[in-house]
Amino acid sequence: MNFKKTLLALAITATAGTAALADVKIGVSLSLTGPGSGLGIPKQKQLTLFPKTIAGEKVELIILDDASDPGKAAANARRFVTEDKVDVIFGSSLTPTSAAITPIAFEAKTAQVSGAPIAPQGDKESFVFRLPQGFAVMGHAVVEHMKKNGVKTVGFLGYADGYGQGWLGSMGPLLEQAGIKMVDVERFARTDTSVTPQALKLTAVNPDAILVVASGSGAAMPQLALAERGYKGKIYQTHAAATPDLTRIGGKTVEGTFVVSGPALLGDQLPDSHPSKKQAVNFVTNFEKSFGPNSRNQFAGHAYDFQIAMEKVIPMALKSAKPGTPEFRMAIRDGLENMGRTVFAHGVMNWTAKDHEGYTLETGVMTKVVDGKFIVQ
Amino acid sequence: MDFSIASILMLDGVTNGAIYALLGLATVLVFTVTRVIFIPQGEFVAYGALTLAMLQTGKIPGTVWLLLIMAALAALMEGVARWRHNGNPGRALKAALKILIFPAIVSGLSVWAAPQQFSLWVQAALSVAIVTAFGPLVYRVAYQSLESSPPLVLLIVSVGVHFAMTGLGLLFFGAEGFRNPPFWDERFNLGPVAVSGQTVIIFAVSLALIVLLWLYFERSLRGKALRATAVNRTGARLMGISSHSAGQLTFLMAAFIGALSGLLIGPTTTVFYDSGFLIGLKGFVAAVIAGLSSYPGALLGALFVGIVEAFGAFWASAFKEVIVFTIILPVLLVRSLRAGHSDEDH
Amino acid sequence: MKIKNFALLVLAIAIPVLALLPLPDFWIVQLNYIGLYALVCLGLVLLTGVGGLTSFGQAAFVGIGAYTTAWLTLNTGMSPWLTLFVGLAITGASALIVAAITLRMSGHYLPLATIAWGLSLYYLMGNLAALGKYDGLQGLKSLSIGSLDIGQGRWFFVLTWVILLAGATALLNLLDSRPGRAIRSLKGASQMAEAMGINTFRYKVSIFLIAALLASIGGWLLAHFQLTVNPSAFGLKMGIEYLFMTVVGGIGYVWGAIVGAGLIKLLDDYLQVALPALIGTSGSYEVIVFGVAIVLVLKYLPDGLWSLVARYLPSAPRRVDWQDAGNLPSRSKPARGESVLKVDKIRKQFGGLTAVNDISFQIDAGQIVGLIGPNGAGKSTTFNLITGTLSKTRGQVLFRGQDISSLPARGIARQGMARTFQHVKMIPDMTVLENVAMGAYTRGHSGVIGAMLRINKAEEHRMMKEAQRQLERIGMGEHLHEQAGNLAMGPQRLMEIARALCSDPALLLLDEPAAGLRHKEKQDLIQVLRQLQSEGMSILLVEHDMDLVMDVCDHLVVMEFGTLLTQGTPEEIQASPAVRAAYLGTEH
Repeated sequence: MNFKKTLLALAITATAGTAALADVKIGVSLSLTGPGSGLGIPKQKQLTLFPKTIAGEKVELIILDDASDPGKAAANARRFVTEDKVDVIFGSSLTPTSAAITPIAFEAKTAQVSGAPIAPQGDKESFVFRLPQGFAVMGHAVVEHMKKNGVKTVGFLGYADGYGQGWLGSMGPLLEQAGIKMVDVERFARTDTSVTPQALKLTAVNPDAILVVASGSGAAMPQLALAERGYKGKIYQTHAAATPDLTRIGGKTVEGTFVVSGPALLGDQLPDSHPSKKQAVNFVTNFEKSFGPNSRNQFAGHAYDFQIAMEKVIPMALKSAKPGTPEFRMAIRDGLENMGRTVFAHGVMNWTAKDHEGYTLETGVMTKVVDGKFIVQ
Repeated sequence: MDFSIASILMLDGVTNGAIYALLGLATVLVFTVTRVIFIPQGEFVAYGALTLAMLQTGKIPGTVWLLLIMAALAALMEGVARWRHNGNPGRALKAALKILIFPAIVSGLSVWAAPQQFSLWVQAALSVAIVTAFGPLVYRVAYQSLESSPPLVLLIVSVGVHFAMTGLGLLFFGAEGFRNPPFWDERFNLGPVAVSGQTVIIFAVSLALIVLLWLYFERSLRGKALRATAVNRTGARLMGISSHSAGQLTFLMAAFIGALSGLLIGPTTTVFYDSGFLIGLKGFVAAVIAGLSSYPGALLGALFVGIVEAFGAFWASAFKEVIVFTIILPVLLVRSLRAGHSDEDH
Repeated sequence: MKIKNFALLVLAIAIPVLALLPLPDFWIVQLNYIGLYALVCLGLVLLTGVGGLTSFGQAAFVGIGAYTTAWLTLNTGMSPWLTLFVGLAITGASALIVAAITLRMSGHYLPLATIAWGLSLYYLMGNLAALGKYDGLQGLKSLSIGSLDIGQGRWFFVLTWVILLAGATALLNLLDSRPGRAIRSLKGASQMAEAMGINTFRYKVSIFLIAALLASIGGWLLAHFQLTVNPSAFGLKMGIEYLFMTVVGGIGYVWGAIVGAGLIKLLDDYLQVALPALIGTSGSYEVIVFGVAIVLVLKYLPDGLWSLVARYLPSAPRRVDWQDAGNLPSRSKPARGESVLKVDKIRKQFGGLTAVNDISFQIDAGQIVGLIGPNGAGKSTTFNLITGTLSKTRGQVLFRGQDISSLPARGIARQGMARTFQHVKMIPDMTVLENVAMGAYTRGHSGVIGAMLRINKAEEHRMMKEAQRQLERIGMGEHLHEQAGNLAMGPQRLMEIARALCSDPALLLLDEPAAGLRHKEKQDLIQVLRQLQSEGMSILLVEHDMDLVMDVCDHLVVMEFGTLLTQGTPEEIQASPAVRAAYLGTEH
């Protein structure tokens, strides 16, 4: 199969000669299975709405599952740069998997647009661009809300995986700065039959607020367990729980929960003056047209933002090079770095040569679950 | 750690333990009759819970289609095998049809009933029927021709079946989890602990099944015949006990127990397509503690695992899996030393 | 040239050729993965395929190797070439601990134990902060020699496949040597091995250790290839995949490891792209295909793909090149009249049943003693008590004046007692010569390392020469290179005798040597026994064929219901009414 593909490719390039036959190839590595699937699948769903052509060029998305495994993500990346020779990589949806892709993308001088927040990558920084808000950005919104509401002690009930760890790591310094004490840390697995012991311990310690760090449908069980144990304090959820799966499984129990989110989900609640309002509304409307009312999802929003970025950058790059060439890949990278202020559904992005991070600290928005919907606070 | 916390943990441990006990029982059951270490037992649990969840949403669960495909495959295999064996196409066809009948009826019923959104009890019964029908088919397709292989080969086959069932589970149910409504909404107060109706059902069902299984295998002729198959297959066959039907019957029971367990945990746990593995594994630990041979032993082992898990999760929740799976090692060692050399070593 | 050497040569040439050809980079990436997976699979071939110890936990050892190098290179800046050895040391230590606990387990308990500790290790690695918990460690550097960066491309390919080649060569060498024959007896003939003086537990530990070390090297390579290390590559699923690769390739064959790893990796890649296109949605659906494939392979091709190749490949017989070899060290033989065996009131009780009831008798040098009695008299049990295969409840056995009562079977074998078995125990896929050479185990000392490096050639030649000599001595000279499993019953029994003779025994114990032999074969057997006796051998014989027994034995011991009935010369026994009553019943 590889041999045939190679022959075919050779034949095509030998007989073609015209630019019209070259496609823009985008390699996408997402966690579609495993613990990170809650963050990866919505992105994949949004990508089904990706345009088939941009600026007259056909665009091909090659989507591979990395199963939340950095090793597999690295293998996918290697495949993208050696076999498929993609022009840009979008991936992954988790921090460790995205970080595994970076050195390979750098070696192949291909830009990587990461769907997860990753730490500064030193000399490889020039080829990585981050779409989502970092844990610190979201955490900032949570801590600010806690401060405003007089929360003095916090408990942590989170996944025993990279997502949980990332939040735990970011919350530590933020809480310290705000003078709030983290009094207990409990971990659980998505597939556990019960989290009663952990909920029991937390309820006994009785902090003012508990932060639940889980994704999608997995975020409901810890809350149900806490409710069963009679916990009466405030409950905060992370942006991975800002999905209808939480309310579907949690039902009445999750009413009143504070869930932090990016602005992409809240388009209709944003004031008209908010720069992202139009894009956010656009994103939600199109997504829910295809996937049902109330299906809007945080992480799908990042995939939408990727589309915006590509629609801006690809035409620019096409002016100077043909797809499939090293010059084109470089042009895409340069385009991303130099495209200036760009309005995303999740906020206003402004990548510069020095800053491939993304949003400022004020980007996280606190919402509350009211009647099964997420209402901005 | 005061009394009320300890008692809540005990209750939680025992409740989970009851589920592990059911799975442990099924594991011991399958092993004592067929010598298969059935790792995919947990998958029946997940399938049971998720099939019900799908029916609750009014859709036809993917398991129905899988059931039909497997039934067709098994029927084909059986037909061909019978034809080869005695050259009579009529008999072969009859045998094939026999395999096809129950799955076809159940599938047909499900396809008709799914959009009708019947009551919870009806849907639950349907889910159990669908998953139970799987049992003998899995045996026929994957294990029957390897009946006389050593348990190691059967163990590897089990791993293969587990992979296939998990992957198919992802295909049918997606990566997100589901919860089912409880069968009994009541709550009872027993001193410091609040026992939910669901918990009472779990205990009642587990106890009933244990008693039934024990009676069946110790007291009834059929049950003893099944046990004979495991001890000496050829001897049993000479006595007129068909090892094929023994195997299929056993897997039918195991699938039934699995489906039932799925219904029991559905309301209290969010079930994902891959939840089955870890639950099945813990039931399996319980069965191994019992030496893969004793039902009361499996029950005790399961309760032990549940309680260790509950207290472990309270004290060091991050390490709870490490604790549960490390305790199995000294148990295995003790068991193995007691068992001495198996008949494969000579 | 032997097929094995030919294949190794082809591989050795292929490595630099492939590295230089303008192959697509992606193919090199694939070959790199295949190479390091094949290393782990090599260990499984030795451990599971040859040794019969099923392990689902090899991935955990890969993890130890990978994490060691990751942590050390990231935190202490140690050179990766050094961390390799640190990793091997840590892996070796943990393997020994695990082996001590799990290898005493028999049957299916061992794979269960490997599943359990594979899971424990996975969760442990995922919870240690120093190892980055579930995110693992990132930012590793590639390997380099001086200023040459080995990277992840062609140089890495050369490195990996050279290591793989070295590993394969070492294993092939090992399997065709004194320790190799011992290892090949672990799966299904361990009782016989113990009777030949082999410490089977020590060899089990050895192969477990070798497999773990190979996995550790694989982990080291993986870490410096992926530049990231995290627990999911070392969990149960990967452990199962390694076993699966090896089974598909052919678990009993060294080449099966490479074929299996290659096939599964390529299939995995193909399915990763093809299945989502087929199904219409992305996700890891390859597991379904793999699951089905495992079942199919085990049903229809349990010996793996390489078995197909091996079946059609011509196998050249071993080249006889040991004519000039020296002799193995030999034992001092008992003088005429010396007491060779003295059995004093040995007893065996199984619960309430007394199978052997205070039996006493004696064998002097150069005697052929027969142990006879009706069925169920306890003859074979007595045999097993004397040879140490079964433990005594009470009693004493003196061998040439030494008390051997508490020695295990292999200790007794070393003293100079050799036996055959009632049901022939041999290794069917080794040749007759190799099976017989097993008997000479106690007369050699080359170890595992020596065998792998092939520095044991001289001793091997001596062993082969001895084996050939014994086979010719009993008239089996033309069957040297036949597969032992293809022989008929008669020649198989003679082979067992030749094997026993190879250990240069002072006392030969034969358990029903004539069972299943035809008349002519029995005559030949009698000749062989007489010949041996004339050369000074003492023999204890359990037999049912009365003609043979009366013909060949000097002294008979008769047992009934576990008790000694009477003993004496053949004439005395034939005349004894008690013996007649025991065999035929009393007159009334």
